[in-house]
Amino acid sequence: MGHPSTRVVQVARRERADCAAIDRTSSGHREAEARAQHVHRACDPMQTLSLRALRGRPIVVARAEHDWAPSAEEPADVEALRAELRGLGAALVVRSMGVAWLLGADDVAEPRAEGTELSELDAETGSAALVLLDPAGSVRFSRTLAPRRGLTAALVDSLRAARSALSARQQLPRTISRRDWLMTAIVASFAAVFLEACAPRARSGRGPAPTSPTAPGGAAQMQQPANELDVVLHVNGRDHALRLDPRVSLLDALRERLALTGTKKGCDHGQCGACTVLVDGRRVNACLVLAPMVQGAKVTTIEGLAHGDTLHPMQAAFLAEDGLQCGYCTPGQIMSAVGLLAEGRAESDDEVREMMSGNVCRCGAYPNIVRAIQRARKAG
Amino acid sequence: MRPFTYVRPTDEASALSFAVQPGARFVAGGTNLVDNMRLDVERPRVLVDIGSLPLTGIEDRADGLTVGALVRNSDLAEHPLVTSRFPALAQALLAGASPQLRNAATVGGNLLQRTRCPYFRDPASACNKRVPGSGCAAMDGFNRSHAVLGTSSSCIAAHPSDMDVALVALDATVHIRGPQGARAIPAADLHVVPGDRPDVETVMRAGELITHVVLPDTPFAAHSTYLKVRDRASFAFALASAAVALDVQGGVIRSARIALGGVGTKPWRSHEAEGALVGKAPSRALFATAARAALQDARPRKYNAFKVELAQRTIVRALSTVGGVT
Repeated sequence: MGHPSTRVVQVARRERADCAAIDRTSSGHREAEARAQHVHRACDPMQTLSLRALRGRPIVVARAEHDWAPSAEEPADVEALRAELRGLGAALVVRSMGVAWLLGADDVAEPRAEGTELSELDAETGSAALVLLDPAGSVRFSRTLAPRRGLTAALVDSLRAARSALSARQQLPRTISRRDWLMTAIVASFAAVFLEACAPRARSGRGPAPTSPTAPGGAAQMQQPANELDVVLHVNGRDHALRLDPRVSLLDALRERLALTGTKKGCDHGQCGACTVLVDGRRVNACLVLAPMVQGAKVTTIEGLAHGDTLHPMQAAFLAEDGLQCGYCTPGQIMSAVGLLAEGRAESDDEVREMMSGNVCRCGAYPNIVRAIQRARKAG
Repeated sequence: MRPFTYVRPTDEASALSFAVQPGARFVAGGTNLVDNMRLDVERPRVLVDIGSLPLTGIEDRADGLTVGALVRNSDLAEHPLVTSRFPALAQALLAGASPQLRNAATVGGNLLQRTRCPYFRDPASACNKRVPGSGCAAMDGFNRSHAVLGTSSSCIAAHPSDMDVALVALDATVHIRGPQGARAIPAADLHVVPGDRPDVETVMRAGELITHVVLPDTPFAAHSTYLKVRDRASFAFALASAAVALDVQGGVIRSARIALGGVGTKPWRSHEAEGALVGKAPSRALFATAARAALQDARPRKYNAFKVELAQRTIVRALSTVGGVT
């Protein structure tokens, strides 16, 4: 696969070979890196950093106030940076004294000339100390703050926070879009910790970064009307006290307020079934129920099916029969199928199909969905 | 969705007192109202959630089977007294919507659901029902799903319910309570044709609440069926549907009920078709005559003319099922 970052590394390595022969077998990795940097600095012209070539993964662009070079930092810190970048699949660009250092997961850190793309980024974000770009190259976060202690340590802490937020999400079924929560986790956790590491003045502002796992643009950002309600939602065996606008649907409350994003928003009109949850054991469309309407009821979402690492039999059946393709409709399909078996009527394939008609699968995984349900039904 | 005040009364009296406030609307299952609020088609200022009212019983009484307004569509469809004594109602309920929606939707809400005319559901389109006097985009628009019976020059929106069609065929009465007390309305008379006021859909007055529906025991109810024809096998509104009930004794039809869905501006009872059947022996030819009578006043538009034939075939097939004619 012609991954952009791979190409960058290959180009860099070819260039390095042209400049001088480096014996990486006879010296340590760090030594080789230092020598490579030395060779590079001596070898004109310096390669220009291309942000465009890095597209396809998140990029952190940080500006160091002082002279910064990987070789001058604590080796343990640099290794930690690499490890976190590897875990996130992200790239780091540190700008210092007119050069840009590209730090990937494994490739050798090299100083590059700051090209026009970085100038354009400056025009967009001012002289921000920290900029987060999403895989499409759009700016998702930028701040003009400098960390109190070293930049490297602040970056390590921030990346680590982002990655732990990420791995917490990885406990969930694999049906969640990676890219969606990748940027959310990085922006939310990274920005929060990075800001924490910055001057106290920055923290006295009015909450510049989202500090909860709330997706951008969610219900939390709605302007507050006068008649908000205190609502207790009983979800997956736990009570959640929420203050919310009565317009908030059960679906939005689950996703945006309780971070239970396993329940999916498809059509938001009760036509697709992606948002199916159980209310008092019965399957309903969470998009058409306002959150206050289910006070006192027991809500079960896809997150509430498994017992620890033991999957619910319906989840296991969907895996066994490969009852999905892209997976977006799957939580709704599974919740609906659990409701279907509780109703105890459908037996034949035709009956299963009829009673699953409220769940649409655009991939057309229907044959295996029916098989999965029949497997779970016959297993009792 | 516009802001509103949400209240959840636990008794009928307080529900009725909230309901007289300007812009108040009851909500139960929410499957239609919440959807329309999200589309900005419905804009209640006060939302009275009646989910806590004790209107959830199904009781067999002297005057018939009494069904609370908050009984869920799925519960009613599965109730043994409904499947045995009112099969058309059970079939109509199961033909409607999806299992998820039937689990939320209630009897009262089903009766008061709004049309699925796409122009009604699109605030950018002209619609006399949504904004009186604004015109009707469906009249010369894409009107394949629209009504051919009971239409006017103001509105051709089809009534979407399956359940209501069965209630009409089964002589059900709808019981209502409001500021002026209680009253009962035959299911066939609850809805009104659009005329020049398509925004007025029922005879209910502001602040009135459906409390229950009564299904009387009739000689034809147990011999009833519901047939629905749609674009796909499941989870679609009717292009045409028929709830029919026959009381046949000694080879002669003593009484008949024929109600149509998907083709009328309201759940459509056809007295003409019923009149063509009574006193005669069941036969396919007789059923075809009755079907023609049911559609004799049909006024199709550009894209829905097929419904005139489709509805007749639907009636004939449904009658053949209960009339024992092959």
